[in-house]
Amino acid sequence: MRDDPSVIRLVERARDGDQHAWNELVVRYAPLVWSVCNRYQLNRTDIDDVGQTVWLLLVEQLGNLRVSAALPGWLATTTQRECLRVLRAARRYDLTSSPEDSPVSPDQADALIEEEILAAELNAALRAAFADLPARCRQLLSMLLSDPPLSYTEISATLSVPIGSIGPQRGRCLERLRRSPYLATFSDHEIVGGETHDTRTSDAGGGQRA
Amino acid sequence: MPEVGSVPESWADDDQLFAALKEAVRAARAVPPEFVEAGKSAYAWRNIDAELASLTYDSTRDLVPSVRAETASIRALTFTSAHLIIELEVSGESLHGQVVPAGEGTIEIQTREGVAATVGVDSLGWFPIHPIPASPFRLRYHTSDGTDVLTGWITL
Repeated sequence: MRDDPSVIRLVERARDGDQHAWNELVVRYAPLVWSVCNRYQLNRTDIDDVGQTVWLLLVEQLGNLRVSAALPGWLATTTQRECLRVLRAARRYDLTSSPEDSPVSPDQADALIEEEILAAELNAALRAAFADLPARCRQLLSMLLSDPPLSYTEISATLSVPIGSIGPQRGRCLERLRRSPYLATFSDHEIVGGETHDTRTSDAGGGQRA
Repeated sequence: MPEVGSVPESWADDDQLFAALKEAVRAARAVPPEFVEAGKSAYAWRNIDAELASLTYDSTRDLVPSVRAETASIRALTFTSAHLIIELEVSGESLHGQVVPAGEGTIEIQTREGVAATVGVDSLGWFPIHPIPASPFRLRYHTSDGTDVLTGWITL
């Protein structure tokens, strides 16, 4: 997804002053920032603090092409670094915990962040593909996705379609989802080189970024 | 891990693809709406006019660990733009800065809440900041001849 032209286009539009494009980026990747913060078991105030800082840093980096080309990786590593900063700051006032007393070890963090970036990219692509489906498919799938899911009987009544056609329609809608251009652009999951890697290396050394 | 250039192979199966979609929707719903709104409003901080000075040196990042331990009480940061350098030094409760080349002007201290304070830069390019602002903050340097430089966000 680092090559996902739609993400790069959104970043370019945001850089050029388009608030809507920026909003779309935030909506798309807020779940990634949120999930990294939750991994570090931060309280809600600290999560809000980290989130604000991460988005501020991104606003500042909009003109930086290396960032826009690897946005999910950049967001994940930046969020992780800010979480660690908050934890370090909290520890200064808590003499009972040892310096190594982080909920996540650096090695675990490296492995987890790769998983998180991949999951976030897949999730963002799926949500974008879903939003791009015809209204009828979105409607049907939303009913099936609701928690608890609506029964075929309820769906049949709401959409005025025979119960027997719901299964096949679900199949056709999922097939459209599968063929979505948003999923077709999904490629290259390696997180190497560039900004992402540099940032993480300095984290591993315990560096604190200004 | 899926092959490069493809989604997970398991998505060929309808139920697996549906489960993945369900998880994607769940992950987005788990995020409080205020968290997303705060992210959207960060766009108001987009810099339009000033020349950006980016962080080119940070003692906590760029010194090797053995040296870092000895100088841990002092944090030095350098921001560089196309035309000038802003150096910052933090020790204890004090924060001092130096603009190079030196020139009288003002430094505006911006926090997430807005402009927190403005301090003068003397003819030697020297400026003090006290108290240390809440992180993150950034500095904007103005001079009467039109210099307008903004540093990146700083977290101490």
